[in-house]
Amino acid sequence: MSEVETLGILDEIEALVSDKLQVVSYKWLSRNFLLPSDTAKSVQACIPKDPATIRNAEFVQAEELYGQPATVGNCFRDNRFCGISNSFATRNVEGTSSTVAGPQLNGLMTRGPSSKSNVEIDVKAEAGTSTHLHQVSNPSSKSNVAIDVKAEGGASTHLHHFSRPSAEKGKVTCVPASKKGGQKNKNSGVAGGSLGNLWAHASAKSKDPKPIDGLARTSSPDTAANGEAQVCSSKAPQLCSDDEAEEVNFQRTSKHVTGRKRRVVFDFSDEENENEDAVSLASPGLPKSRPLMLSEEQLKEEKSNLDLDGAKEDSLKVKKGKSLDDEMHHEEISAPDTGREPEISTIKKVHEINSNAKTDDTAPPSPKRKKMLKTRIDERGREVTEVVWEGEDVGNDSKADTATTKKSDSETVVDNKKRPPAAKKPSSSTHAGPSNAASKAGNKKAGSKDPKQGNILSFFKRA
Amino acid sequence: MLELRLVQGSLLKKVLESIKDLVNDANFDCSATGFSLQAMDSSHVALVALLLRSEGFEHYRCDRNISMGMNLGNMSKMLKCAGNDDIITIKADDGSDTVTFMFESPTQDKIADFEMKLMDIDSEHLGIPEAEYHAIVRMPSAEFARICKDLSSIGDTVVISVTKEGVKFSTRGDIGTANIVCRQNTTVDKPEDATVIEMHEPVTLTFALRYMNSFTKATPLSNTVTISLSSDLPVVVEYKIAEMGYVRFYLAPKIEEDEEDKS
Repeated sequence: MSEVETLGILDEIEALVSDKLQVVSYKWLSRNFLLPSDTAKSVQACIPKDPATIRNAEFVQAEELYGQPATVGNCFRDNRFCGISNSFATRNVEGTSSTVAGPQLNGLMTRGPSSKSNVEIDVKAEAGTSTHLHQVSNPSSKSNVAIDVKAEGGASTHLHHFSRPSAEKGKVTCVPASKKGGQKNKNSGVAGGSLGNLWAHASAKSKDPKPIDGLARTSSPDTAANGEAQVCSSKAPQLCSDDEAEEVNFQRTSKHVTGRKRRVVFDFSDEENENEDAVSLASPGLPKSRPLMLSEEQLKEEKSNLDLDGAKEDSLKVKKGKSLDDEMHHEEISAPDTGREPEISTIKKVHEINSNAKTDDTAPPSPKRKKMLKTRIDERGREVTEVVWEGEDVGNDSKADTATTKKSDSETVVDNKKRPPAAKKPSSSTHAGPSNAASKAGNKKAGSKDPKQGNILSFFKRA
Repeated sequence: MLELRLVQGSLLKKVLESIKDLVNDANFDCSATGFSLQAMDSSHVALVALLLRSEGFEHYRCDRNISMGMNLGNMSKMLKCAGNDDIITIKADDGSDTVTFMFESPTQDKIADFEMKLMDIDSEHLGIPEAEYHAIVRMPSAEFARICKDLSSIGDTVVISVTKEGVKFSTRGDIGTANIVCRQNTTVDKPEDATVIEMHEPVTLTFALRYMNSFTKATPLSNTVTISLSSDLPVVVEYKIAEMGYVRFYLAPKIEEDEEDKS
């Protein structure tokens, strides 16, 4: 039974997976296709038919590793890359580093050009994050990475990531970057040094001219800083309320003051609801000036936000006003950080990224609205760039300087929306009042409808 | 078959002139007893009742009761084509939707036929009970018309009070007030000039002068007018048509301000 169903949806799944930004997991499959999770897992039986793809280096190496005598320790036998800790999984972390070459190759090959193999690996990797048991039989190095991410994020973020697949990728790529900030223990409490080696290899392999997913791209060593910012910027609007994640980002940004792009993360990670608010700030209009250094990030951001459009569309509409307040919070929070110049640039980035996100988010549902970036100097001499909606929310144009007054302004915007009908009522009543009175007076004078005039029918009955 | 021959054709002309401004469309009911009409004005404030008895006609033939809906304005236009001394004959066939007015000059050298289309008018007869009125004033119709005309130039309403001293017509307007008292006067040369007040109890009622002035259009019909007042009934302004019948106007009183203040 599962075979038939699986065959029916294979093409559909393939189409979905062909999207580079789509992470497919068993749970995701079972949810989207209303299948039991077992059936969803059977999807990975989709084996590439191309013998060249099947007999890739990974396969050969896996065969070789498994073909070694039981006495010889390799990365499969000692479970050194396995994130599972139980009585049945014995782990030999002291294993020789020579076997690391295997996972390196694996890491390379799992990102092979074939989309089918990509499907396979992705599913496996996500399966690893959802259920630990599959990792035992899965020698892929990516699965280890995923497990480590999960160890960092915790169970609460886990579900969150599944609802936002693109966020999952950003998360994965963020982990090694945070390790530079001395967050090793938090990132990978299990894999330890092996994972560092693994990442080093992965970055070396990421020079693939056709990087398929964010892993390959961000792991490029010469673009490490850019990749970090890239990952973080894509991560920022999707950050969950995980305390650890926020902590990681905070420390990172504070230590890399020179990296402007990380400041974006810092601003976003200050408040719990930042992600939604930040996205909701966005608008269809494009900012007038976009720094060139952010163009690549923004492209990435837009892509990653494509998946979130549907989910966040409601919050976008509702929290538009609130997000403006949050902007001011960003400004105030970032004020004591460092000099004003970087701070302002950070705020600008926030605006720009948000506006970018909103370009994709709200343009179709609200074509009447136009977002305007307004830059002004507040009373403290800071340059403040505001995202202002023009069109329906005309009241947003007149923003006060402080956050509190801004709140009141956003409230007045709501009031203004209610006001026109209310204003019409008094106007209509004022118009109707005199006219009615005049008509009554006229009637009185005319005598046609005199209330004092009796009716003949009240005296004589109909025959 | 209906055939009514009225030698004094001017009577019919005057009747129409007296009621056409008050009622636009009305049904003329013909029966063996006479030619009658009852209609309310459009605001249901006034009612006009006309009766021309069959005895008043030189020739009166009405095989069956028939109701002829006519537009009084159109009827008046046709009757205006008749001379004051002409003999008017009203003819209608059974089931016909037209009525024919035939005007004969007194010398019979001119005979004119005017055929008018009838209308289907949905009207209801009101039962007007015979009532004993508190006060009945009979006075020269011209005098009454003059009073109403004068008062209407000052106010909109007239308060008619009948006491033992006489009948008082009062009005109040922006420019001032007016009171006209007519005492009973029977010592006159002509009986039609007498003012006779029959009062069972004092009565004071307020009416719209606009309607009163409309009623006075019937003044040519009669030298005298009879005003019957009762505190709980519409006033009846009656113009008798000599030896033929009458035109009665019923007008609902207005609620007096004094009554409102008292209540």
